[in-house]
Amino acid sequence: MSEITLRNVIKRYGAVEVVHGIDLDVEEGEFVVLLGPSGCGKTTTLRMVAGLEDVSDGNLSIGETRVNEVAPKDRGVAMVFQNYALYPHMTVRQNMEFALKPLGLSAKEVARRVDEIANMLGLSELMARRPAQLSGGQRQRVAMGRAMVRTPDVFLFDEPLSNLDAKLRTQVRLEIAKLHNRLGTTVLYVTHDQVEAMTLADKIVIMRDGHIEQVGTPEQVYSQPDNMFVATFIGSPPMNMIPAQVRERELQANGLALKVPPRFEGRLAEGQSVTIGIRPNGLSLAGAEMPNAAPARVEVTEYLGNEALLDLRVGPHELIAEVPALGRPAPGTEISVQFDPDAIHLFDTETGASLSR
Amino acid sequence: MNKPSTQQAILVYTLLGIALIVFMTPIYLIASSSVKPSPIMFQKPPAMIFEPTLDHYRDLFAMRPFGKFIGNSLMVALGSTAFSVFFGSIAAYAISRIKHKRMNDVAFWILSMRMFPPIAVVVPYYIIFKTVGLLDTPIALIIVYSTANIPLTVWLMKGFFDEVPTALEEAAAVDGHGLISIFWKVTLPLAAPGLAVSAVFCFIFSWNEFLFALMLTGSNAQTAPVAVMSFWSSDAVQWGRIMAGSFVILIPGVVFVLTCQRWLVRGLTMGSVK
Amino acid sequence: MAYIRKRNRSIFLIFLLPAILVLFLTTIYPMLYAGYLSFRSYDLAKPFVPRVFVGLSNYQNVLTTGDFLHALKITFQLMAITLSIQLFIGVGLALLVTQRLPGMSIARTLLLIPMMISPVIVGLVWLFLYFPELGYLNYFLSYIGIGPISWITSPDWALWAIAIADIWQWTPFIMMGTAAALTSLSPEPYEAAKIDGNTRWQVFRYVTLPQLKPVLVSLLFLRAIDAFKIYDIIFVLTKGGPGDSTEVLSLYIYRQSFTFWQMGVGAAASFVSLIIIVVLITFFFKSLNRDPMQS
Repeated sequence: MSEITLRNVIKRYGAVEVVHGIDLDVEEGEFVVLLGPSGCGKTTTLRMVAGLEDVSDGNLSIGETRVNEVAPKDRGVAMVFQNYALYPHMTVRQNMEFALKPLGLSAKEVARRVDEIANMLGLSELMARRPAQLSGGQRQRVAMGRAMVRTPDVFLFDEPLSNLDAKLRTQVRLEIAKLHNRLGTTVLYVTHDQVEAMTLADKIVIMRDGHIEQVGTPEQVYSQPDNMFVATFIGSPPMNMIPAQVRERELQANGLALKVPPRFEGRLAEGQSVTIGIRPNGLSLAGAEMPNAAPARVEVTEYLGNEALLDLRVGPHELIAEVPALGRPAPGTEISVQFDPDAIHLFDTETGASLSR
Repeated sequence: MNKPSTQQAILVYTLLGIALIVFMTPIYLIASSSVKPSPIMFQKPPAMIFEPTLDHYRDLFAMRPFGKFIGNSLMVALGSTAFSVFFGSIAAYAISRIKHKRMNDVAFWILSMRMFPPIAVVVPYYIIFKTVGLLDTPIALIIVYSTANIPLTVWLMKGFFDEVPTALEEAAAVDGHGLISIFWKVTLPLAAPGLAVSAVFCFIFSWNEFLFALMLTGSNAQTAPVAVMSFWSSDAVQWGRIMAGSFVILIPGVVFVLTCQRWLVRGLTMGSVK
Repeated sequence: MAYIRKRNRSIFLIFLLPAILVLFLTTIYPMLYAGYLSFRSYDLAKPFVPRVFVGLSNYQNVLTTGDFLHALKITFQLMAITLSIQLFIGVGLALLVTQRLPGMSIARTLLLIPMMISPVIVGLVWLFLYFPELGYLNYFLSYIGIGPISWITSPDWALWAIAIADIWQWTPFIMMGTAAALTSLSPEPYEAAKIDGNTRWQVFRYVTLPQLKPVLVSLLFLRAIDAFKIYDIIFVLTKGGPGDSTEVLSLYIYRQSFTFWQMGVGAAASFVSLIIIVVLITFFFKSLNRDPMQS
């Protein structure tokens, strides 16, 4: 009923193409997050689904129906805007009622629906207030309430948490997750914050420059990135990237030589340019004689509590390692850093594509 | 920009004091002369303490039909204000929302309409209104003043509409509201201060206008400023009557300055000062 | 918004149409009519004489007889006097009322009042002040050893009398715009200049003034456009006299059209003045150097 399907969807503004033929399936009841840096086309994609932007080319369906030409109100969607878009001159109750007005319901039914949602979101005490009299978190909930009263088939969220402070963001994130578990409505959610994406999504869609870079579960995009962009975009601090060459079953980078991990055997050509990717927690301190170790100099240490981040210099390369905070080396010390062969990702330097598959 | 020192403060207050005396004296003269008995009107040094008289006002309203002229002024000003604010606002909304590269030219054109010299078009107006039989009617002035008031409203209201976040309108559109409903229930209430400011500017302009009123009206539709001017040209100069009429005419403008001066900048400088 | 725009293009056009229509009928049409008249001989006193096409003779009349050029000269003379003094006093007042001292906002508000007064009333109250023999201005001036001056009866002073009334009414405009611009300036350059030890004059000359310049230019163009149209105050004070010493363009057109009933000549002069005003308006919009409708 409420799955969303995009087939070769293109968005142009005049001669400028900003979304380049994307394909995407959002299953019924799924929580899908569009994630990417600003300007990647994620919000434009969401707005096309909402009907606020025209689809220049391709097919957009909700349920069985092609909706390219369907007006927003007839798509069965509700949207939560980045700045909430609450009507400042209306009370919370009026805001929610206004969303129901076009449905032509009886006054009783309107009141019943509004009260039900208000109860669910804990807004009952605030119904007579205006948006200006609400805190950021409360506004956010009113915006969700206004979207929910229409009992849409699909919820669209456009960076709904970006205006909240860090603590509130965590809290509202949890509330959204709970609501989704309870209502089971299909959700398409846009954000540039990977933590939001990782914690909320059933499926993450990573976009860049109007292309989809990877679609997958949070685990997949983190542990099996399809390409260098996804690898560096997901995870914080980002994955270390070291350009290298394949020589005699070794990955040779300037001042560094690692054995090709067994799972890459036979996939690499002699002399091929590859990029070694390794997350900071794939690096550890080791004795100098261990295999896959390299001498390194600690430039800066950043103490985080349980862990510490080490800014290392290995030959010409700058790497970040995440190590237990206890017993971390002091800045300036020469140490030996070990590369966990299981944590190594390899990418084709030319195309950026992962060589793991 | 720190707080000035004591000497600087004294200098600032002295200079401002002089400026205030210079700029306020004429206004004081209008007010005081309007209640000053005629015999001491030009007494020197000017009589600061005297028994105020309402003779001039009585003369103005009881002996002469000044009330009728005030009524004409009100009718013309209110009529033109209503007309201009309504049509100016909807036009401003269209200009604010249509994104088209020619839209700027339309905006320029509308704005420049306000700046043309009235004297250059008063002859055609005279002939046209004479031809269609509207000479010396309030309708003629309502139409003419709207020529200046519509551009002003368009320009002011566009600024206010631009400030209404489009997300609000989009939210209403996703919820299924049509454009008229969105404009009426969402956008216009949020631009309400703009409506008030535009209305006041239109009113003051129409209320104060002289040239068109002089040329296009006679005894029937004459407005207050023309009437006051006519006291001057009659046989003997009746300064008390002139000042009483002037005082009545300057009230709306003064009230406007005192109540909403923060909008004056926006209304008078055509966007050259934010 | 894209959705709203697309679905409602026709409604937007309906919204726009009445205003455009009204403006077209009340400005473009009269101007075209003025254009038409300017090529005809049209004597309003003789309504039954046909309006004969006379080619460029009205324009020839306007541009070659000295009266029009004289009026043009007076107009620009008055403009130069009023604008320069308004600029000087207006900026000075703006600097005063933006000081961080108590009472400044009241002073600022009071000083704005003259702008909102009907120009006829301005003319009348200044007439009251200038009035020969009786007016208070010469009496006030006698205290500081000036006078007595035949303000409106002497050709040497009449233009100044008009200028003073106009300066009184419109200096607040320059003050208001400049004060608004001053308060919107970022405080950082001032703090930097202070740390660098610049004098107040240096700060004003090299920090404040350059930042104010675009605003001042726009304000002056707006004033110039208004000064070009000046009519009411002169009509009240001197009616263009004594002689033709204060006959500005508007008064000249008025006299041609309504004293001599030479509508064609008046229309031709109107058209020439329209061209001049278009140039001024263009410069004003250029001075904004941005979307003129952006507030």
